[in-house]
Amino acid sequence: MATQPTTLHLDISNAYFRMDSEEVRKTRDAHWYARTNWGIAVLRYEDSSALLKSPLLTQGSAKWPAQHGVVEGHFDEWWQKTLLVLEGGEHNRIRRLVNPAFSPRRIAPLHAKFQDLADGLVDEWIEDGRTEFASRFAAPYATRILCVLLGIDENDWKKIHELASTIGLGLGITIQENIARIDQAIVELTAYAESLVRSRRESPKGDILSTLVDARDEDAGKLSDKELINLIILLIFAGIDTTRNQLALSVEAFSKQPDQWEKLASDPERYSAAAVEEALRVNPIGRWISREAAETFQYKERTIEKGTTLHLFTMTSATDPAAFDDPDRIDLDAERSPHFAFGGGLHHCLGHFVARADIGVALSTLATRLTDLRVGEDAEWLPDSGNTGAVVLPITFTSRS
Amino acid sequence: MKITVDEVKCQSHGLCAISAPDHFELDADGKLAYQETFDEEHLDAIEDAIDSCPLQAIIMDRDAP
Ligand code: SF4
Repeated sequence: MATQPTTLHLDISNAYFRMDSEEVRKTRDAHWYARTNWGIAVLRYEDSSALLKSPLLTQGSAKWPAQHGVVEGHFDEWWQKTLLVLEGGEHNRIRRLVNPAFSPRRIAPLHAKFQDLADGLVDEWIEDGRTEFASRFAAPYATRILCVLLGIDENDWKKIHELASTIGLGLGITIQENIARIDQAIVELTAYAESLVRSRRESPKGDILSTLVDARDEDAGKLSDKELINLIILLIFAGIDTTRNQLALSVEAFSKQPDQWEKLASDPERYSAAAVEEALRVNPIGRWISREAAETFQYKERTIEKGTTLHLFTMTSATDPAAFDDPDRIDLDAERSPHFAFGGGLHHCLGHFVARADIGVALSTLATRLTDLRVGEDAEWLPDSGNTGAVVLPITFTSRS
Repeated sequence: MKITVDEVKCQSHGLCAISAPDHFELDADGKLAYQETFDEEHLDAIEDAIDSCPLQAIIMDRDAP
């Protein structure tokens, strides 16, 4: 076999490793990929775009629990059957049934509700000139929207939020020490999901959950009860944490570019969609997307062996100067190429239209009501990883009144 | 009725091919190939494909012959 090209190494397991560092920029300038502790990191836009959609790569997360010593239990059983890790016919069959439920057509009627929620939350603290954004806006907003989507009683939001966060620990490197709690959360959420399905069957409501129950009942045998419950747990789990963290990351990104915040405030109708895309581009919650080579293949000068893990660095590819002018700057008037914050290919994020809509409403509401937005020095961030975000995000501002 | 895909918008994610495999397909290079015309009986599948496209790149012309 030909020798592999020599490339730089990035220590992505280091808690101080930062995607927006000079080190990563230099590495991206030097080569399209770097070696890492686990597999290779794809750094440039062109290559991320090609590899993300390559049929030679699978999603490859099925092994995650086993890699951390978890080989059985409620979490593992659930995880092995989630859409996130399924491949091939089984994946496609379920995606075909659920995709249409998350279309812009289905989500448009919910905008007014998103707006009420955003305004109501801002009202709670706008007089103070400061708030802790993660717990006083991002978490309740993201969770209550999920409740609306699935038709869950909004008063249950704190409990749902807790269960979702506990399951989220299953994707952290501390999975094994938390597994008893995580398994228990799956049991509780399963019972909850079953009661939701039962109630929708008795009285359909025209919400997403009713649509999914329909997909199940009309096409008996196409989506089993077990698959439906698995999916509901996935929606609850994946829908909350991602939006919550992306809201905090978006606010942080805009706090550094007050001119663009003012632009958004001046014409939210015109700029809200661009504001979401630019925030996702420069500060995405998922700093990388993982794939695994299903077979050995040649990509450019590199032979990628079967089983190799590839990390497609989203933030790095979306700020690649070869694909974007003035790439680190939010520019609401620029025509930008698509970013990969929602992944891509057949595993493209299912809930992206919901996320785009609710983040858009949140950002334009915040921009039209708050100015002089600043993030406090005492903000606490999770390390850069497949999922990042704010633990605590104190902000100060002036009310526009 | 007829469909067209905006090729500038399309990012070849292939979700349309999951919904309507008889009409959309990714070729060996991962590029989208599709049929513009379809029979009435496939309308549901085509509408699902339109709904599912992350770029909303598929346009249906209901009046086309
Ligand atoms: S789903 Fe949309 S973006 Fe993806 S291949 Fe089909 S038309 Fe193109």
